[in-house]
Amino acid sequence: MSRADRIARPALLAAAVVGLVVVLPTLLPDYWLFLATSAIAAAVIAHSVGIVGGEAGMIVLCPLSFAAAGAWIGCWFATHAPGVPFVLQMVCAAAVAAVVGAVVGLPALRLRGVNLAVFTLGVAAAVSTVLATASFPGSDAYVTVGRPGGFEDATAYYRFCWIVFLVLAALTTWASRRRVGAAWRTIRRSERTAASLGLSVPRVKLGAFAASAAIAAVGGVLMAGQLGLITPRGFEPLASLSVFALAVMVGARFPEGALLAGVMTAFVPELLHRLGIAQDWGNVLFALGAIQALAAGAGVAEIARRRQRARRVRRAAARPAPAAPARDAPREVRPLRAGGEPVLETAGVRVRYGQVVALAGVDVAVRPGSVHGLVGPNGSGKTTFIDAVTGFVAAEGDVRLDGASLRGMAAHRRAAAGLRRTFQQQSASEELSIAQYLRLAAGGSLDAWMTAEALEVVGAADATTRIGELDVGARRLVEVMGAVAARPAVVLLDEPAAGLGPEASAELAAHIASIPARYGCAVVVVEHDMQLVHRACDEVTVLDYGSVLAHGAPQEVLQQERVVTAYLGQEVAVG
Amino acid sequence: MSGLAIEELYASRAGGLVLRGCSVEAPAGRVTVLLGANGAGKTTLLETVSGVIPADRGRILVDGEDIAHASRRRRARLGVAHVEQGRTVFRHLTVAENLRAAGHGARAVAAALETFPELEPRMGTRAGDLSGGEQQMVVLARALAGEPRVLLVDEMSLGLAPIVVQRLLPILRAAADGGMAVLLVEQFAPLALSIGDRAYVLGRGAVVLDGEASSLAGKTDVLRGAYLGEATVA
Amino acid sequence: MLQSSLAGLTSGGAYAALGVCLVLMYRMVGVVNFALTATGAFGTYVALVLWGHGVPYVAAALVGAAAGAAISALLGAVMATWFYDVGPEVHASVAIAMMIGLLALGFQAFGHGPRSLPAVLQGPAATVSGATITVVAVVVVAASVAIALATWVLLRTTTIGVRLRAVSERPVTAELLGIPARPLTVAVWALAGALSTAIVVLVAPTRPSDFLSLSLLVVPALAAALVGVFTSFGATVAGGIGIGLIEGLVTDSDALAPYSTVLPVVVIFMVLLWSQRRERWDVTR
Repeated sequence: MSRADRIARPALLAAAVVGLVVVLPTLLPDYWLFLATSAIAAAVIAHSVGIVGGEAGMIVLCPLSFAAAGAWIGCWFATHAPGVPFVLQMVCAAAVAAVVGAVVGLPALRLRGVNLAVFTLGVAAAVSTVLATASFPGSDAYVTVGRPGGFEDATAYYRFCWIVFLVLAALTTWASRRRVGAAWRTIRRSERTAASLGLSVPRVKLGAFAASAAIAAVGGVLMAGQLGLITPRGFEPLASLSVFALAVMVGARFPEGALLAGVMTAFVPELLHRLGIAQDWGNVLFALGAIQALAAGAGVAEIARRRQRARRVRRAAARPAPAAPARDAPREVRPLRAGGEPVLETAGVRVRYGQVVALAGVDVAVRPGSVHGLVGPNGSGKTTFIDAVTGFVAAEGDVRLDGASLRGMAAHRRAAAGLRRTFQQQSASEELSIAQYLRLAAGGSLDAWMTAEALEVVGAADATTRIGELDVGARRLVEVMGAVAARPAVVLLDEPAAGLGPEASAELAAHIASIPARYGCAVVVVEHDMQLVHRACDEVTVLDYGSVLAHGAPQEVLQQERVVTAYLGQEVAVG
Repeated sequence: MSGLAIEELYASRAGGLVLRGCSVEAPAGRVTVLLGANGAGKTTLLETVSGVIPADRGRILVDGEDIAHASRRRRARLGVAHVEQGRTVFRHLTVAENLRAAGHGARAVAAALETFPELEPRMGTRAGDLSGGEQQMVVLARALAGEPRVLLVDEMSLGLAPIVVQRLLPILRAAADGGMAVLLVEQFAPLALSIGDRAYVLGRGAVVLDGEASSLAGKTDVLRGAYLGEATVA
Repeated sequence: MLQSSLAGLTSGGAYAALGVCLVLMYRMVGVVNFALTATGAFGTYVALVLWGHGVPYVAAALVGAAAGAAISALLGAVMATWFYDVGPEVHASVAIAMMIGLLALGFQAFGHGPRSLPAVLQGPAATVSGATITVVAVVVVAASVAIALATWVLLRTTTIGVRLRAVSERPVTAELLGIPARPLTVAVWALAGALSTAIVVLVAPTRPSDFLSLSLLVVPALAAALVGVFTSFGATVAGGIGIGLIEGLVTDSDALAPYSTVLPVVVIFMVLLWSQRRERWDVTR
């Protein structure tokens, strides 16, 4: 960021906060202050939907049920333990809701988002019914929920709600920049990519769920504090659905989007009322807005951020690039194991899809410190082999990494154990910066040297460049460097040169050839680009119809008659 | 010119440019063969012609009419038939239903059975349960049933035994002799060249070599180089 | 106990029939149509308005079904035009937004309160061990079975059914063969809208008939579809009727009665947990 940016943004933000929190309540009449306070509670709840949906990609249709849980706990404290400080009540509500959220999220673990949406809609309906019958604790005795000490009057409570919102916004912003947020965005983009980076998909999903439920519960407690007496009305399934639609429309994963959602929830009905228009048209507006946002792929706040980001990127591109900083000497490279034991060994790997045999017993041994090419005609089973070895497809046979069998290990465990791979299709989330992706892939510890290496290979000047801003070849290279950044024992690359022009392909070949020496990993590379194979590989295994056809040095193997036959057909080999 | 003419075609996949100014002519009544290593853009070219992916730039002329901006259905109605890679039968439908799906009527189905009598006893079998060769026959029959003007065939021989391929190739030849423009993509050069009239070799999205099929069949060193890399060319 | 259980048969039949529509839509056009029953409620209310103006009931119901079909076709056209190549989550989100929009428009047009309904198909049909089964129950259950069967027949034997199955399996290949994928998609939406209206019209007299309650029939319908794992029509029918019967039982007990809507949720939860015993994640993405 330029100096001007660095000063302007926080200053504007501070001014806005001061204006909204300190100045505004003194100017507003009581009724509007009440609405404004409701807006903040609604913003918190909308933000919870944005976090689990916008960030992690899961449809949750019961945010108000989690909010009701929070409100319920607030009422419980008011009835049974009114002396407990408000903030502590909020923390308690968040914790309980997190557990409830994790339970509700259990069906989400394996299934696609649609089944989760169905289930959470059912939860919304069920909770609404239960509330209508059981009601909130203390409601028959008209026990009101207290407010935090020192913040009892309307203006002070308004400011308290703002403080809570800002703390939450800071927390979620912080989380979205760290591994947690990167993991959520990766899950949203592609669950198998997350597994290939060593992430436990169920754990990440449940975490997103729990976080969302906790945030919504805090919103519920704020509501309880504002209203004092809570009724089951307002937690109905339709209200939950409206929150969902609104969150989609505004892009509630970002704090400013959530605030917009809160303002719309509180003030649109008021506005319609004053204009003499029926309330329902507000919901029509939200529905249309959500559909439009879904068609555009982004809500209001998301579009605004994209534009801002694009402007910044343009301005940065116009400025002269700073000189590349001098690189420190490379950190001590993982010593290549001498000795004959293969670092990756497969024996009799077999994969069947119904009647079709994709792999018919493949034996491959990858020597430490080598670049091992895997080639073969179309349909010979190369990608299936990678899938089988890394655990993405069910296979028979034995796979050993550094002598230890990987049988029965799930894909993400194999990745964590030192077996990394890339995919043919682009899989890194476009919203992550290069640095974020590398940190996620490297499992937490990423040193400056590796980042500098990656930037050089990718050809980017700045580690904060978003992956979406890079061209296809560069993105592929980021994924390759991500696999390497974890310093695994073996890296399996699936057609890394696909779509690259001749010079880029040659550069990639040079990089791949240097991976064992620079980073200490052995490499298996599946490729059609024979120039790359010749340049980068020490040895080559040829697959044909799911079996190993030949194995040896590329010069020699690719001349063999049967290999040429496999690729070109009988007569060309003879002629 | 009647038949298919592709002029300076550019097309991309998932953000990357695959076809870089490709120009190919597949006249009516001839079999035109498209060779090249994987990743060269052969499948992308066929998919751009049939409409599976949109063209970035360039013209696609069928009997002189530019279809580069027409919808897939419209191209199908104009007589473009695409036999996709991987034997895209409707696996849950029977053979009979696969042939009926395109809606060309009983006469067309009968004609298809004449060309492929082996399918007759399998009419009630689910297409997913057929052998590779039989599935390829279903896909071909489905395409031919519409009496197309342009027939695009993508790697028909993939995963099939040579004897099956030898059974199927003459059908393409006969289709061309009947007036169709046949554009055949193959990995296995000699098979395709044996029935082809003209051949193009694609490399990195553009034509690197073209000529009469018979003359190309003799240039084995060049072909080997194009497929297996420079180091193999002595 | 039998009586209270059988009292739930009408609802069960409705859940089954609506569930079949949901499964049909998911299998054919790849959308979980959350707006299905809101569409049906809209059509039903159109019929009721007409009936209130003196139009004979059957004619009014037919017009209502046509209205339901038209609204649904409109929603389907929006889906097919702007949301053609998107994933199931986006489809579901759009369907949810459509449901909200329809609800709001319905409230505007018809109000929030219940409507008086014609007294058709009243009365008992049969008696089983001292428990009565109403005519409505028989009709609705028969309708759900008939719809499931008719759908099955349509898909298996007619050319349109063949084409629909082709489009749902490989939409691109179908288009390359000249099959009109998008018009067929809209046709499926229209059919679902008409069926949904017919079912809601039949069942409305036996339930709370305000617009919201009728629209929320989609929740137990989704539970039925989940029992059928969104693929099997037979299991969906069984699931829907089962949920209805158990709901009837639960309503009988004074202690449990208010919690009768919790039941579908519990069913879904257990079905989902059972069907995902072995952990796996979404390999297609």
